[in-house]
Amino acid sequence: MIGGLFIYNHKGEVLISRVYRDDIGRNAVDAFRVNVIHARQQVRSPVTNIARTSFFHVKRSNIWLAAVTKQNVNAAMVFEFLYKMCDVMAAYFGKISEENIKNNFVLIYELLDEILDFGYPQNSETGALKTFITQQGIKSQHQTKEEQSQITSQVTGQIGWRREGIKYRRNELFLDVLESVNLLMSPQGQVLSAHVSGRVVMKSYLSGMPECKFGMNDKIVIEKQGKGIADETSKSGKQSIAIDDCTFHQCVRLSKFDSERSISFIPPDGEFELMRYRTTKDIILPFRVIPLVREVGRTKLEVKVVIKSNFKPSLLAQKIEVRIPTPLNTSGVQVICMKGKAKYKASENAIVWKIKRMAGMKESQISAEIELLPTNDKKKWARPPISMNFEVPFAPSGLKVRYLKVFEPKLNYSDHDVIKWVRYIGRSGIYETRC
Amino acid sequence: MPYLGSEDVVKEVKKALCNPHIQADRLRYRNVIQRVIRYMTQGLDVSGVFMEMVKASATVDIVQKKLVYLYMCTYAPLKPDLALLAINTLCKDCSDPNPMVRGLALRSMCSLRMPGVQEYIQQPILNGLRDKASYVRRVAVLGCAKMHNLHGDSEVDGALVNELYSLLRDQDPIVVVNCLRSLEEILKQEGGVVINKPIAHHLLNRMSKLDQWGQAEVLNFLLRYQPRSEEELFDILNLLDSFLKSSSPGVVMGATKLFLILAKKFPHVQTDVLVRVKGPLLAACSSESRELCFVALCHVRQILHSLPGHFSSHYKKFFCSYSEPHYIKLQKVEVLCELVNDENVQQVLEELRGYCTDVSADFAQAAIFAIGGIARTYTDQCVQILTELLGLRQEHITTVVVQTFRDLVWLCPQCTEAVCQALPGCEENIQDSEGKQALIWLLGVHGERIPNAPYVLEDFVENVKSETFPAVKMELLTALLRLFLSRPAECQDVLGRLLYYCIEEEKDMAVRDRGLFYYRLLLVGIDEVKRILCSPKSDPTLGLLEDPAERPVNCWASDFNTLVPVYGKAHWATISKCQGAERCGPELPKTSSFAASGPLIPEENKERVQELPDSGALTLVPNRQLTADYFEKTWLSLKVAHQQVLPWRGEFHPDTLQMALQVVNIQTIAMSRAGSQPWKAYLSAQDDTGCLFLTELLLEPENSEMQISVKQNEARTETLNSFISVLETVIGTIEEIKS
Repeated sequence: MIGGLFIYNHKGEVLISRVYRDDIGRNAVDAFRVNVIHARQQVRSPVTNIARTSFFHVKRSNIWLAAVTKQNVNAAMVFEFLYKMCDVMAAYFGKISEENIKNNFVLIYELLDEILDFGYPQNSETGALKTFITQQGIKSQHQTKEEQSQITSQVTGQIGWRREGIKYRRNELFLDVLESVNLLMSPQGQVLSAHVSGRVVMKSYLSGMPECKFGMNDKIVIEKQGKGIADETSKSGKQSIAIDDCTFHQCVRLSKFDSERSISFIPPDGEFELMRYRTTKDIILPFRVIPLVREVGRTKLEVKVVIKSNFKPSLLAQKIEVRIPTPLNTSGVQVICMKGKAKYKASENAIVWKIKRMAGMKESQISAEIELLPTNDKKKWARPPISMNFEVPFAPSGLKVRYLKVFEPKLNYSDHDVIKWVRYIGRSGIYETRC
Repeated sequence: MPYLGSEDVVKEVKKALCNPHIQADRLRYRNVIQRVIRYMTQGLDVSGVFMEMVKASATVDIVQKKLVYLYMCTYAPLKPDLALLAINTLCKDCSDPNPMVRGLALRSMCSLRMPGVQEYIQQPILNGLRDKASYVRRVAVLGCAKMHNLHGDSEVDGALVNELYSLLRDQDPIVVVNCLRSLEEILKQEGGVVINKPIAHHLLNRMSKLDQWGQAEVLNFLLRYQPRSEEELFDILNLLDSFLKSSSPGVVMGATKLFLILAKKFPHVQTDVLVRVKGPLLAACSSESRELCFVALCHVRQILHSLPGHFSSHYKKFFCSYSEPHYIKLQKVEVLCELVNDENVQQVLEELRGYCTDVSADFAQAAIFAIGGIARTYTDQCVQILTELLGLRQEHITTVVVQTFRDLVWLCPQCTEAVCQALPGCEENIQDSEGKQALIWLLGVHGERIPNAPYVLEDFVENVKSETFPAVKMELLTALLRLFLSRPAECQDVLGRLLYYCIEEEKDMAVRDRGLFYYRLLLVGIDEVKRILCSPKSDPTLGLLEDPAERPVNCWASDFNTLVPVYGKAHWATISKCQGAERCGPELPKTSSFAASGPLIPEENKERVQELPDSGALTLVPNRQLTADYFEKTWLSLKVAHQQVLPWRGEFHPDTLQMALQVVNIQTIAMSRAGSQPWKAYLSAQDDTGCLFLTELLLEPENSEMQISVKQNEARTETLNSFISVLETVIGTIEEIKS
């Protein structure tokens, strides 16, 4: 159970403080500020114990959120709860920033009232919360009968994540496959570790209680469906992928997934995360970074970095940024690059090379001459890795959505009346090449 | 927190709240109330406007109501008489047609922490429990717990408890979970909510309908249930199987713990479960949510204690990435250190070597210590890496490497030669106390193999006046005296100077005493000095005792998914121990077992134990290092002088026992692993007259009694009796700590 929840800005000023249990006093608020926010050294642990009180803290941009308790709780659960709270807040007012929190502080108190009671998590689904919390604040006596019954039905309904009687003129759904690809590569081009963590996010605007079925190119399913289809897929060049592990939103029937590996569910209204997965095999690494660092004497470094894009030529990668670290005693940098813009940022000790767009199967290169101040510091330069950011319009894990079928037997719309949109976005997670 | 100008602020707000113009304008009125809440958040005391806020609660605007209720809950304990005025409005709201208003009013009313409110909330709560809207029922159920909390220690209302038990069958999943939580708090004195077979099965069937918080909570409650038969046990495990793959890491961990506890008699099931959660745990370890990642890593370390090879093939997952926060890197290094095996040792060491030159000194030092840890098994490779690191001539690296060397030669004597060759030249790069002590110790103990040892020590003696750490001076005294024994010609002059300085000029009493002691010792004669100072130079067996022996899963299963793996057992033991002292009745968490399981001996007991040797005629001599071989020989040659059986019940923690014995100068020569049956330990001790006591402890499989057999090399009954009484007291004390 959580004894209290505090939100601070980066200076340690309290923006929100809500205490749920007697054992947490006002002094806890100050203890956290003094011991963690104002502490000189970097954060030693996300769980800090001050005077036998545990503070679980996360940071979003420059906002600190801390859950406080004196009990022996499940650490994973508390952090999950904090993440959930951030998600809920983000769903209401966008980015979590000091300004947004100050502007919405009434709303946040309302939320805290609903999602925690006596320190125990209650309902935390954004969709369901919307019936209890109205930003404008409605007058209770003017509330229509219909709205009241809606609350009752929501709260008594069998399914916690969807209320009954939802109606849309246009039945529409959006499916986003969002992946982040992580890489750690040795200077010789050997992959030290690589994995893709992906999410399938669905935005559903469907009437009634629709039953959905989601299919993807999961290796196990494809193999199961017999050789006929498998041949077909191999001819068309479609690969199936091996998923290391995956987890689903609560609405997915896990028993069915275990027995038939089919994903069927009644979706919540609005946006939610359908599944989360991780793959480690056959990852398409969108970019290769080839570094060449040469030390010329004691006061000069020559750096050459080649990046190669490794995907279909028809696709375009965007927002490419390569960060080449430079030694601390750099005095000047000359950069020449074939594409995009490159700049030496002294404050960040790095050369930042930005390219707006780049097609597949292309190659680009940057070379820099770094002049160093002679120092008598014998400390060897640690050579931090070259990191990269990008966004590509495909899924680096190779995941493909094969179908998403919608059945609503009670209302008169069928699967092909639903307008469906699918989008793939692959982003870089921690994408580093050592040099 | 008295802020400047707080009175003015209160006055101003009060004026605004009373202003009829503002009261008439709904938006402006609400804005003023918002300001009050804002001041409250900042820590200003705005309880002065309580009266005005009570008035503001009579409104149709729900948002305004919520704000006022929040205010009232905060300040009600300060203004109980005024808060009673609000009760009327709240009671009225409790019968509002809108379930949301009913729930809100009931929740606020139960949260008013003031004496005398119970009589007003009892009826609304009972009504709430039977409300047709589940929203209100949820609030009412937790309201019961709040009401009980207000009462303090008063007796439990049986009818209410029955009502709550019946509500476990409620249609709404959150009501069900809240019922469990509420019952748990109300029945805390009696051991919490009872989970019998029907309730357990009911909960199991409802599991899939619950949200993640509910699932985690129910999994926690199910820990208490003990299936009647093996068949039922496996049915339950099958039912819960899917939760091992839940999307919420918290639920996965909760399910894992439940599996481990339920299957405590089936080690193969436990291993199987740990294999199956490997995937989810690894996923959590590489997730973007750093805090969760940290928690997962802590648990991975926990698992590695029992199954060292469990994650070995995934060692690359634990390589640190440059941009990760500090706390994750440190955890990963620890993990890497524990999953090393013959196949990956090369890669892991290569990776760790890279971390040693990290910009963050802390992290670099952690990596070096990790290499030192691995060196106990893979000595040659590690010593080579460490020696290379000395070549960097970095202060923060050199000091840690030398400290690692010191620990290493003690445990792995075979690397002494290599270490001695690496040492010359280090002294230039060591500035801190710890590093200096380590270097001086090494030079003293292994000085005969290091050609320039006397001259390095001489430099230290030269600068002893400007030395700030007394500990370094003490170490220097001992080291120089030791070296004097093996290389007298080179050291005599320097030793004389140091002793002179320590006795005549040094201001620190401890250093002075040590100097005087050595001086007098030298007067007695060189043989006496040798007898006292030349202790063994290494003790490989210590490593085996010191290493946390492979522990069975059952000894940490109950700590899994709590704060214990996050804080570490020792730290948690101190936290929970202090908490125990200030615990007041109902706040008692279920942690009574932790205080005993930690390796720390509570302070007060330690003192008692330490006093013991003086009480009898017997004085045990410390640091008598007996080798295992010698012990065995003597043991076999002697007859049992005394045999006795002590009662022993419940769990047993060898570490604690060993530490306690060490305090009274009884050395543990060897002992079986924790949990093995029968459990045995061999102890040795020596008194000031040179009489040896050899002891065997034998814990029978039923864990009901401990058999003690003592052998003595000189038959003297009076010392034997006092030795046995010392032993008895130590074992008795351990028993006490445990209960």
